[in-house]
Amino acid sequence: MNNQPSGLMLAGVSKRFGATRAVIDGDLHLRPGEIHTLLGENGSGKSTLVKILGGVHRPDAGSVTLDGVPVNSRSPRQAMDLGIAAVFQEVLTAGSQSVLENVWLGSHGTFRRRLGRAEQRSIAQDVLSRIAGEVPLDLPAGQLSLSERQSICIARALVRKPKVLILDESTASLDVRSRDRLFVELRRLAAGGTAILFISHRMDEVAEISDRVTVLRSGRSVSTVDRSDLSVDRLISDMTGNSGHNETRRQPHDPGDVILRGSAVRLAPASAPIDFELRAGEVVGLAGLEGHGQDQFIKRLAGVAAGPGRVVRLLPEGAADLTERNGDALGVAYLPRERRGESLFESMSIRENFALPTLGEDRRCGLLDTRSIARRFDAFARSLSLRFGAAQDAISTLSGGNQQKVLLARWLATDPRVLLLNDPTRGVDIGTKREIYAILDRLSAEGMSVVVLSSEVDELVDLADRVLVFRDQSVFAEIPHSELSTESIVAAYFGQKSEVHT
Amino acid sequence: MNRVLPLFQRWPFAFALLLALVLLVLNLIVSPSFLSPARLPGTLATLAPFVLVGFASTPSILAGGIDISVGPLATFSNCLFVAILIPAGLGNWHLAAPIILAVAAGIGALNGILVAVVRLHPVVATTGMLFLLVGLSLTIAQNPVAAPNNWTEVFAGGIGIVPGALLTIGVAGLIWFALRRTAFVSNLLATGESDVSAYGSGVNIKAIRILAYTLGGLFAGIAGIALTAIVQSSQSSLASTYALLGLAAAVLGGTSLAGGRGGLLGALFGAVSIYLLQQLLTASGVAPSLIQFAYGAVLVVGVVLGATLLAPRLKRNAS
Repeated sequence: MNNQPSGLMLAGVSKRFGATRAVIDGDLHLRPGEIHTLLGENGSGKSTLVKILGGVHRPDAGSVTLDGVPVNSRSPRQAMDLGIAAVFQEVLTAGSQSVLENVWLGSHGTFRRRLGRAEQRSIAQDVLSRIAGEVPLDLPAGQLSLSERQSICIARALVRKPKVLILDESTASLDVRSRDRLFVELRRLAAGGTAILFISHRMDEVAEISDRVTVLRSGRSVSTVDRSDLSVDRLISDMTGNSGHNETRRQPHDPGDVILRGSAVRLAPASAPIDFELRAGEVVGLAGLEGHGQDQFIKRLAGVAAGPGRVVRLLPEGAADLTERNGDALGVAYLPRERRGESLFESMSIRENFALPTLGEDRRCGLLDTRSIARRFDAFARSLSLRFGAAQDAISTLSGGNQQKVLLARWLATDPRVLLLNDPTRGVDIGTKREIYAILDRLSAEGMSVVVLSSEVDELVDLADRVLVFRDQSVFAEIPHSELSTESIVAAYFGQKSEVHT
Repeated sequence: MNRVLPLFQRWPFAFALLLALVLLVLNLIVSPSFLSPARLPGTLATLAPFVLVGFASTPSILAGGIDISVGPLATFSNCLFVAILIPAGLGNWHLAAPIILAVAAGIGALNGILVAVVRLHPVVATTGMLFLLVGLSLTIAQNPVAAPNNWTEVFAGGIGIVPGALLTIGVAGLIWFALRRTAFVSNLLATGESDVSAYGSGVNIKAIRILAYTLGGLFAGIAGIALTAIVQSSQSSLASTYALLGLAAAVLGGTSLAGGRGGLLGALFGAVSIYLLQQLLTASGVAPSLIQFAYGAVLVVGVVLGATLLAPRLKRNAS
């Protein structure tokens, strides 16, 4: 190793958010003039790494150096001043400002403009024409298409002539022509010595553009492969690791009648329609990389989001369309993803949190019967083996896993036929996770239908009878129980049908 | 209508401008001498504090926040000048003007720091400041103190043929115009529209926010001078009158409370509309109690029009 390695070096970088270790000992060497792809499934630490490089987060440990000089950016601004320009996953434009203003946004000082107006125009025009074709500079950015707005964000990074360019899923919103143009431009920049860190969920793109690929798994960098050694199978097995699931997998129960049916459900105007049937006693997994429509789909099933297509509950008492208001009455219970924002009442007690939607059952002569609440709560607390001090304690005194159990009990108390769970074990410790799996297994044996959206591949393999994998707002693959494995799911995440799946 | 709507969307202040023109015509019908050269300087002088308080409200709203304390800051500047600076022998314009403006800008900056650094909600921070300033004004000048024939008089009358009020409004306008030539206003609008985008692109959003409130404070200081010009005394009791007028003027002028859209022209036409409405109602003999009611009605209608009909539909654009 040289004394002064050129390019961007990350050594032993770690970052933790609360109890979650997002990046553990991250190592990465980004050489000038290469296009280096970062690959990994949900929660593997890609975005955290990008945000560390882009100056949004600061690492807890480890070092980042650029051409041998330590990088300690405290803000995107400082990262940019060092020559690191990141295009983040979200399309970040100020809608009522002109395209021109958006391209140069942040390049100026607080007061000082960096270049003359005419020069700004010609550079912006030049860069945009290379990556997006003709974009009128004076139009408000909000009137452009998503693809064009994404191009503006990329142009914003390019006009700074960075030494290191980071593109975090920046091609996701681009149309095909703009993507091809971008790739030509990226190769040109790399030939000129720019180091490019590229993140994409499209395996074909990764294979097309990468000089090297680094795979991340659970916050660790697992392997770095040269272009010549690149194979999709190898990348997928690196992303999933080799964890045995034979002992932990649950066996499906015999499914009963169709309870819930979605027909011609569309998650985006242009996406393929989805037809979906849920039978009694089934556990169906929903999977996909963040933002590919699975979250929208479970909300459609729950009736909390509206859109084209129908979702109908068929049993027990005849067909009824699900809407925002009737989920409870139809026996469809939905557990949202965000405990804090969407489910919990943090300053209320454990028992109140449990009882709120079902207080109607505890009525006596028009008044609340607190003993009835206590009885019902105790029954659920026992059956879900809830661990708590006193039922009157604030719910915030519980661990994440136990909070989740309380919420599960809340919805089980409505006596549902269908249980829709949106990432139910996020931030839940492994022991409680196992308990929740056991509870779900028991419920499905009793004939309840369960739909689990999960960002954890292992969980889906352990839990589901079949898994729907979402890509680009539609179902890319439906993986039956016999073919369920981390490999088959992750392959589908990245647009590959695995070989077993015929 | 299809041709008119884009105009309104391109120029957020168009509604207020139109309203101001209509009200002006109505005023001329009710009292034909409304715009006579003899009355004009006086009319403009009473208008100036409205406009300037509207200006003062604008930068913080553009930055995505709100400053409720600019009205009381204007009256505090008035009391500071009349009840403290003049008795202390600092009443000369070349001493008093810089002091007033520096204090007002400083108080604005303090608001900005409370919002951007301490991260208080802007309503909380500036409401606190509002009560603080009202209390302070009452402490230093509980009863009106007369200050006849001080230098601010020129702004109530005229310099040669130029109405003095054009100077106070003009100075504030010039400051804004100069800032527009720098990157500041672009940064300000971007921060207000989407602070995530601005931050991610490298804009120092803390500094921009603090400066926005500082600028608002500075304009409020100028408003204090324009107010002193017409009352020629300390008027701590006026604080409540101006407290929300500035916001009303800015919002009526098409400045979006969501941040990122609008400008000083909106506040100008908004304030002119409110002032003309007041004049019209007074001249037509409407009871003063109803005037407040009319303010409210115009504001609600204006905001509803601005927010629903005329706001550009930019956000959802199918790719």
